[in-house]
Amino acid sequence: MTAALTPPSRMTAPPPHMNGEGYKRRRRPDRFLPYLLLSPALVLLAGMIYPFGLGLYYSFTSYWLQYPNRFRFVWLDNYINLVEEPLFARALEFTLGFTVAAVAIQVGLGLAVALFLHARIPGRGAIRALMLMPLMMPPVITALMWKIMMASTTAGILNYLLSFVGVDPVNWFGSTQGAVVSVMIIDTWGNLPFVALILLGGLQALPTEPYEAAKVDGAGPITTLRYVTLPLLSPFIVLVVLFRAMDSLRIFDVIYATTLGGPNDATTNLHIMAYQYSFQWFQMGKGMAQAIVLLLLVVVVSYLLMRLWNKAAESTV
Amino acid sequence: MHSRRQWLAGLPAAALLTPFLTLGAGFRAAAQEDALAYYKQAKIDWQQAKGQSLTIGLNKHPFTESLLPLIPEFRQLTGINIEYLILPEAEYFTKLVADLSQQRGEFSVIMTGPMRNWQYVPPNWILPLDDFLKNPKLTDAAWYKLDDFYPALTAANRWNGKDGSGVGEGPLYSIPVLEESYILAYRKDIFDQHDIKVPTTLEEMAEAARQVKKNAGIPGITARGTPSLASMGTGFISGLKSYTDGQWRELDDKLVANLHDPRSVKYTELWIDMVRESGPPNWANTQWYDAMEAFTAGQAGMIADADFFAASYEDPKKSKVAGKVGYALLPAGPGGKTYSGLWTWALGISRATRNKDAAWLFVQWATAQRTLLNATVGYRNYNPSRQSVTNDPRVQEIMAGWGGGSYLKTVAKNLETARVAWVPQSERQRLGDIWARALHEVYFKRLSAADALKKASGEVDKVLKEAGIK
Repeated sequence: MTAALTPPSRMTAPPPHMNGEGYKRRRRPDRFLPYLLLSPALVLLAGMIYPFGLGLYYSFTSYWLQYPNRFRFVWLDNYINLVEEPLFARALEFTLGFTVAAVAIQVGLGLAVALFLHARIPGRGAIRALMLMPLMMPPVITALMWKIMMASTTAGILNYLLSFVGVDPVNWFGSTQGAVVSVMIIDTWGNLPFVALILLGGLQALPTEPYEAAKVDGAGPITTLRYVTLPLLSPFIVLVVLFRAMDSLRIFDVIYATTLGGPNDATTNLHIMAYQYSFQWFQMGKGMAQAIVLLLLVVVVSYLLMRLWNKAAESTV
Repeated sequence: MHSRRQWLAGLPAAALLTPFLTLGAGFRAAAQEDALAYYKQAKIDWQQAKGQSLTIGLNKHPFTESLLPLIPEFRQLTGINIEYLILPEAEYFTKLVADLSQQRGEFSVIMTGPMRNWQYVPPNWILPLDDFLKNPKLTDAAWYKLDDFYPALTAANRWNGKDGSGVGEGPLYSIPVLEESYILAYRKDIFDQHDIKVPTTLEEMAEAARQVKKNAGIPGITARGTPSLASMGTGFISGLKSYTDGQWRELDDKLVANLHDPRSVKYTELWIDMVRESGPPNWANTQWYDAMEAFTAGQAGMIADADFFAASYEDPKKSKVAGKVGYALLPAGPGGKTYSGLWTWALGISRATRNKDAAWLFVQWATAQRTLLNATVGYRNYNPSRQSVTNDPRVQEIMAGWGGGSYLKTVAKNLETARVAWVPQSERQRLGDIWARALHEVYFKRLSAADALKKASGEVDKVLKEAGIK
């Protein structure tokens, strides 16, 4: 006990030979060492904080690239005016609706895939390896590949295949509902492996005792899933919901590469809208305000999900 | 050891080949000398900016492809170092505005065009080129022959800088490298087979589209439809201008939006009904290349778009309709005339560039008769902006057969009345985007044409006011 309370040797008075100038010379590197070691992280942090700060500042201005003379500090005008912007309400609605639907579909399907791959089936290793392929593709490439496959006539391979089961050509990107569904399919195809992988990892980490107890109690597969697997897996489920919610709220590449937010603004989310204002119309002030709103949305949702994750993690300990 | 043995074994072969390689290099050098001889006819010192460097901002385009292999020639001619950045159109213009607005001078020479210049001139981002053209130290006017360019094209690249007017007046801001106007291309084989009349009015065009769809089982017409300016500036606005005998303008004299003019409403109703009824099902997601490729692949009966798309339709290597296409003017209005829009890709110079003279030497070289002829003959950069290139026998031989001769006649006739379709002001991109969104409201039956266009006019007025344009 006494030994545990003894202060570390560096906290005690310096030994006699370290007094005076010699000690000071050696102490200086010690004092700066932590900063030196942290410097890459600090540079990285500055690289993040500076553009963020600049963006935040611009969101309070009328910054418009081609009218430098009209640059003014407008306080909260850009935020207040968002309420009057009809597209903002539609974009916000799509952002939230898409996130809820994408997370529900991807986590639901991901769980099913994880349970399937967790079972002892022949060729499990090969299936797991194949399943990871979409993760290796950049989302833009994924989107362009699907765009070609989703041509609206039977020239598109997807409609061609559907014709064998008697389905008429689907107007994938040319109708408002079709475009929303198409973006959802592409996003799900690209991200399902990630969800399944996390949940599969969770399944493999679960203790075996509760399953043995459930078996002794005569529980069937559905009951075991409902009362043993899902509660034990809940921290992993919340974690994957957190990741997917953050990504779905700010999805950009798939939409930009396929629909550009159309048709009829059906797939315009806050990210696409902020891009249009900033880089298509060069109204940086307004675009940054929209980006900040999106950021706040991501932060709030992430915070709520993190709290849920903490609770789930505590309840399974 | 192994690689050393290989190297030694290769020595006799190298010894045998060396004279031929040297000879080959000699031929290449001689060929390059020949090429340079044309430019050296100009009575200017091409080496006056030797050692300077330029970065060229380029859009991905056949003209760009034609320039790249020639850049070593330019280096040899001038001693100027060239770097370039090529980007797809949307990304290119975003990057360009970012560079110009900060006046960093990253791009010395830029690819631009009349309507784009309206965005870059008011904040003084690009240089007028007249001083370069008049300076005998920099330009041999007799050799360069500015008057060889189609007058309508150089006029389109002039602007006096006043919002709402002045195209064709004031300084020349860029030199055109191609011409683009808008005509009707139709499947002559299908029209002949089913006795369909080549349309001369919008109503007839809708009927022809209906007939093609009914008889040939393919969309009667394809057209751009994505919700952006790109969908508005070609066939649609040219058709509207023609429908109103060239009288209608999207902004009136006081720069008040006029999208909801009754003539514009009527035209929009007819156009949207036509594409909804006889167009491709994915019209609302169709970009220019989708429309062009659909027609090239035989998946549409008509297309009202850029004349030079004919180079794609008539390319037997990739087209299913080569030799089966007819060309005609866009449907006319009550006055019987068409009023096509006009666009030219063109080269301009950023004001922020440090090497202005070098930049001009590059522009002069890249728009010289030989360079542009090479772009057209070797890289299908249509339609030529210089009359001498159009009249070159090699170009005539290629273009004369298109549409059984109807192509060249149609383009020539079209250029008699073609002009820049838009009212000059720097928020044209935004206006076009708002307008295109209104068309989607009509197409998806969320609003009537009158209501959608009225709403769009209101939005445009708000933007122009906010931008201080009116």
